[in-house]
Amino acid sequence: MTADNGEILVVEGLHVAYGESKVLFDAHLSVRRGQLVTCVGRNGAGKTTLLRTIAGFLRPTSGSIVFNGTNLIALRPYQIARMGLKYVPQDKRVFSDLTVRENLELASHASGDYNWEPVFAHFPRLKQLLDRKGGYLSGGERQMLMIGRALLGRPSLLLIDEPTEGLAPSLVGHLQEVLKELRKTTTLVIVEQNLPLVSAISDKIYAVREGHIVAEISDPEAIRANVCERYL
Amino acid sequence: MLKSALRWWSGILAAFLVVAVLRLVMPLPFANEIVIFSIYVMGHNFLLGRVGFISFGQPAYLGVGAYATAFYLFYFGYNPYAGILLGLLAGLLVTLLIGPLFVRLRSDYFALVNLALAVIMYYLMEKVLAGITHGDNGLWFLARMTPTPVLDLTNPSQFFLFTFFLALLLWGFYKYLDETIYGACCLATKVNEDKLQFLGYSNFRIRWLAFIIANTTTALAGSLYAVYFGFVSPEITSPHRAADPVVVTILGGVGTLYGPLVGAIAYTGMKDVLSRVIVNWEFFVGFLLVLIMLAGEKGIWGTLEPLLRRPLPMRRPLPAAENRR
Repeated sequence: MTADNGEILVVEGLHVAYGESKVLFDAHLSVRRGQLVTCVGRNGAGKTTLLRTIAGFLRPTSGSIVFNGTNLIALRPYQIARMGLKYVPQDKRVFSDLTVRENLELASHASGDYNWEPVFAHFPRLKQLLDRKGGYLSGGERQMLMIGRALLGRPSLLLIDEPTEGLAPSLVGHLQEVLKELRKTTTLVIVEQNLPLVSAISDKIYAVREGHIVAEISDPEAIRANVCERYL
Repeated sequence: MLKSALRWWSGILAAFLVVAVLRLVMPLPFANEIVIFSIYVMGHNFLLGRVGFISFGQPAYLGVGAYATAFYLFYFGYNPYAGILLGLLAGLLVTLLIGPLFVRLRSDYFALVNLALAVIMYYLMEKVLAGITHGDNGLWFLARMTPTPVLDLTNPSQFFLFTFFLALLLWGFYKYLDETIYGACCLATKVNEDKLQFLGYSNFRIRWLAFIIANTTTALAGSLYAVYFGFVSPEITSPHRAADPVVVTILGGVGTLYGPLVGAIAYTGMKDVLSRVIVNWEFFVGFLLVLIMLAGEKGIWGTLEPLLRRPLPMRRPLPAAENRR
C-alpha cells in the first residue's frame, strides 16, 4: 500500500476496538498534501478514536495507516511524532508545572526547531505569557500553546481534535483565521463539531456516525452548503 | 558571570552552611548520619518528585552499593575510595539492567515490584549468599581499611567532610538537572506521559535514565554507609526499613531541592531525641506525616519556604503584565 496522487495520509479498512467493544468499523480516509480535512460527527461517533489511532495511541484490530509512504501500524506515538505527524488532543491539558517557555522548549528540543517566531506570528499572546505556568492559562491560551508546540519542527501533518471546544466566540474566530493560515504551510486533519467553522475552512469533510464513515464530501459547493449536517 | 554562579549556588551553600553550623553543635555520628541519609533520600526524592514514581524498594539499591563496597573491602582491597567507586558502579550496572523491566510499570506496581526486590535482596544476603555475606553476622572490614590521602576516610571527621562535599556536588547535579530539558521532560512525564509522546519523546527512555540516576545515588549512599560503619549486614537491605526514604521524602517536601536534607535532619533528629524517651518513636513520625498530608502534602520545606521567602522577596518576572492592563 502506498500513498499516491500527492496523498500524505491514507487510512484503509481500519477497525478499532476497546477490548470487546468495537468503536470504529472499516474506516477509509485519504488526505492530500496541503488539504484541510475535517471529521464531523456527534459525541461518541468515533472521531477522536480515529485520530488517536492515526497518532499511534490506539492499536487497530485491522487495517492500515500509511503516512508519507510509511505504514504507521506498530509504530509508537513518539516515533510517529518524530516522522512529522503531530497530534493536538482534545483535553487542552498542557504540562501544568512547566511555564509556557518550558513547554515550547520541550517541543523545540524534540524537533530541533528553535525558531519560535512562526508560533508567535500565529499566537502573539503566547509571547506575553512565556513565564506563566501552564496550570495558570485559560482554555484558549492552553489551546494556543498546544497548537504552537505542535507547530515547532514544521510538521507535515497536524491532527487537531476539537480545537474550538469550550472557547469564547472571539477566540473561535481567531482560531479559524489561524487554521486558514496554517493550511498554507501544512496539511491538517481536524475533528470539529462547529459546522459553520467546518464549512468555512474545509477542503474535504468526512461524516462519522456510530463508528462508520458515512460520507465523504469534497465538492466545494456541498461543503459551503453544509451538506454534512444531513449525515449526523 | 561570577555573580550568577554565586546566585546559582547560594541556596545550596546556605543549606550546607546550616549543616556545617549544626556540625559544631551536634555529635559527629549524628552529622554523618544526616548527610548520608540525605544522599540516600535524594534519589527517591527525584524519582517521586520529578518522575512520579514512589518506591518501597530503596533498601535494595542501598544494599547493592553497600555490599559491592563491602565485598571489595572484605575480600580484595583496602582503599575505601575504591570501595565507594565500586559501589557506585555496581549501582549503575544493576539499574541499567533492571531499569528497562521496572520503568514500564505503572507507579503503583513500580512501588510494589521494588518492595519485592528489597525482599529478594534481603534473603539473598541473609540466606542464599550467606557463604560470602556471612549472613546476619555481616562483613566487618573497619580494621582492613587503610588511611587515604587528601581526606582520610578512616577518620570520621574527614569522612564527614568527604560526604559533605559529595552531597554538595550531588545537590548541584540535581539542581542542574532541574534546569535542563531533561528535567522538564521528567516533570512532563509525571504530569501526562501521553502528551510527552505527542512531542516526540520516549517516556521509557526518560524514566529509565531517571531510574538510573536516582538509584545509583542510593547505591552511593549504601557505599558511604559501608565505609562509615566498616560493617555491612543484611539489615541494610531490610524491607522493614523500606518506608524510611518515602517517609523522609514526604516529611522534607516531595520534589523540593532541600527536602531530603530537611527531612533527614527532622527524621534523624526525632529518632535520636525521641528514642531516648519513648521506645515507639515511630508513632510520632506517623502522627507528623498525617499532619503534613492534611496540611497539603507540602512537607516541612514546602511549608517553610514561602515563609522564609517573605522577608526577602525574590525578583520574579511579571508574566503577561500587558494582559492585566
